[in-house]
Amino acid sequence: MTQVVAPPVAAPTTALVTEARLSSVFLAAVRSERTKLTTVRSTMWALIITVVSTVGFGALLTAIVVNQWDHRSLAEVTGFDPLLYSFAGLNVAQLCIGVLGVLVMTSEYATGAIRLTFGATPQRRLLLGAKVSTFSVVIAVVSLASCVTVFFIGQAILATKQAGVSITDPGVLRAVIGGAVHMVLIGVIAIAVGAIVRHTAGAVAILFGVLLIIPGLVQLLPQPWNNDITLYLPSSAGSAMSAVVRFPNLLSPLGGLLVLAGYAVATLAVASIVLVRRDA
Amino acid sequence: MIKAENLTKRYGATQAVDDLSFTVEAGQVTGFLGPNGSGKSTTMRMIVGLDGPTSGTVTVGGRGYGSLRFPLHEVGALLDASAAHPGRRARNHLNWLADSNKIPRSRVDEVLGIVGLTEAAHRRAGELSLGMGQRLGIAAALLGDPAVLILDEPINGLDPEGILWVRHLLRSLAGEGRTVLVSSHLMTEMALTADHLIIIGRGRLLSSGSVAEFIERSGGHHVKVVTPDAGALGALLRDKGAIVVVDAPQVLSVEGLESRDVGMLAAGAGLTLYELSTQRASLEDAFMELTHEHAEYRGTTEPAEANPT
Repeated sequence: MTQVVAPPVAAPTTALVTEARLSSVFLAAVRSERTKLTTVRSTMWALIITVVSTVGFGALLTAIVVNQWDHRSLAEVTGFDPLLYSFAGLNVAQLCIGVLGVLVMTSEYATGAIRLTFGATPQRRLLLGAKVSTFSVVIAVVSLASCVTVFFIGQAILATKQAGVSITDPGVLRAVIGGAVHMVLIGVIAIAVGAIVRHTAGAVAILFGVLLIIPGLVQLLPQPWNNDITLYLPSSAGSAMSAVVRFPNLLSPLGGLLVLAGYAVATLAVASIVLVRRDA
Repeated sequence: MIKAENLTKRYGATQAVDDLSFTVEAGQVTGFLGPNGSGKSTTMRMIVGLDGPTSGTVTVGGRGYGSLRFPLHEVGALLDASAAHPGRRARNHLNWLADSNKIPRSRVDEVLGIVGLTEAAHRRAGELSLGMGQRLGIAAALLGDPAVLILDEPINGLDPEGILWVRHLLRSLAGEGRTVLVSSHLMTEMALTADHLIIIGRGRLLSSGSVAEFIERSGGHHVKVVTPDAGALGALLRDKGAIVVVDAPQVLSVEGLESRDVGMLAAGAGLTLYELSTQRASLEDAFMELTHEHAEYRGTTEPAEANPT
């Protein structure tokens, strides 16, 4: 075997190591995280499932509604939100994004690569920021593309009953963007939960519990607690952002954004504290 | 240069590293020895800022690791060779590391060549053999062309050719003036590779000094002679001032004379020899004794048997 060792060094600590700006460290970490995301197969699969479920379920449910158009109850007719069925797939997509977000942290703990990551970027808060930023951009692009797609497919189906809306109608563009923001914030919360829990199974269980099981349990509480609490659950707060009609069981779109962003900030704050304090 | 001062790490009731102070100099290979669970890995994790010390400090090139920006240019570490996502290709594993520290991608190809993984660069980390995984870990450590290398058990899983290669690599890295700290629980391997030994047991420093010193202290050597004329030869050697012990009817153990002298004396007296060989004290035994003794002294006020240079 040929021995090709690097040129002689033993140079003193370089200026790069002592004087590089933190912004430079952050940008390099973002590049690194982008490379990580694009070089494992799970990312592509999870994103494909996200797009397919957002578009597929949205189109399917809208088609079913149109098919049953003349058999709708009065409540369904008066409270009809033209985007509700189009965005039904977001309920599935958020689970894919949640798992992928959790894996951004936990797969590194599972393989031990987190030690390489922290070794390469000892500025752990900055690293968490880089992970969150990179993942958020990816989810924003994918979610926005699929929300826009399913919006047009859904409205095309509804147009057969003259029930569709235009992207320029009041609140519609906001709702489409809101659907994507909902997904991004779920992704951020997932990364934070992954950083706090460090184990894939545990973090996914917590995330699914919060998104799927707690809403059901809260409904079992006596009136009016059940509805009051439901308003502030992450799943309801997220749905509020993509609704066009004001439902009594949802916050306003802005309210929903503030509540879900609040959860994201709170979990990220906890994650950034434990990430720095704990041994890797 | 790596400098640890009163480094201490406690996990609950467990004292993993206990008031450890040592210096790792540039330009030589420093072997970091201790039995399993003696605190080697914990110490190495503290050097690279992964674990925070309970008390004490450790610096690399005069700075705490946590204060370094793009530290791979200064310190390369192999702590756990399996620390790669099994689904990621070997080259991509190095690519993300390179990106994180602004290391050009061309350097990835270079280190793949250095560790002999160019052909396997497209394979997923999970498909690499234990030895190839170890080489990938070493490639990651070399990526930033660092002045300081910290390698935890780098020969784990390597075949004899691989072990020889690592030995050669470590020696040439040190020869270039780099600081090389390499841990092992194999005394014999370290005796071949290292210039300096830091030996710890139960988190405490037991010994720090050159390999030659350690060999000297571990009891030197004697000459084993097998001869049918044991009585005559024994008397002759004792006349020359040697200490002779009869190990078996035809076997003598000689201290105080080299095998060359024994052979010449025997030839001069016309005595037959069946075997003549220099017996070195087993470094492994000396190491075991050192670490074992320490365990026995645990809990007394007697200071650890330290020999700082």
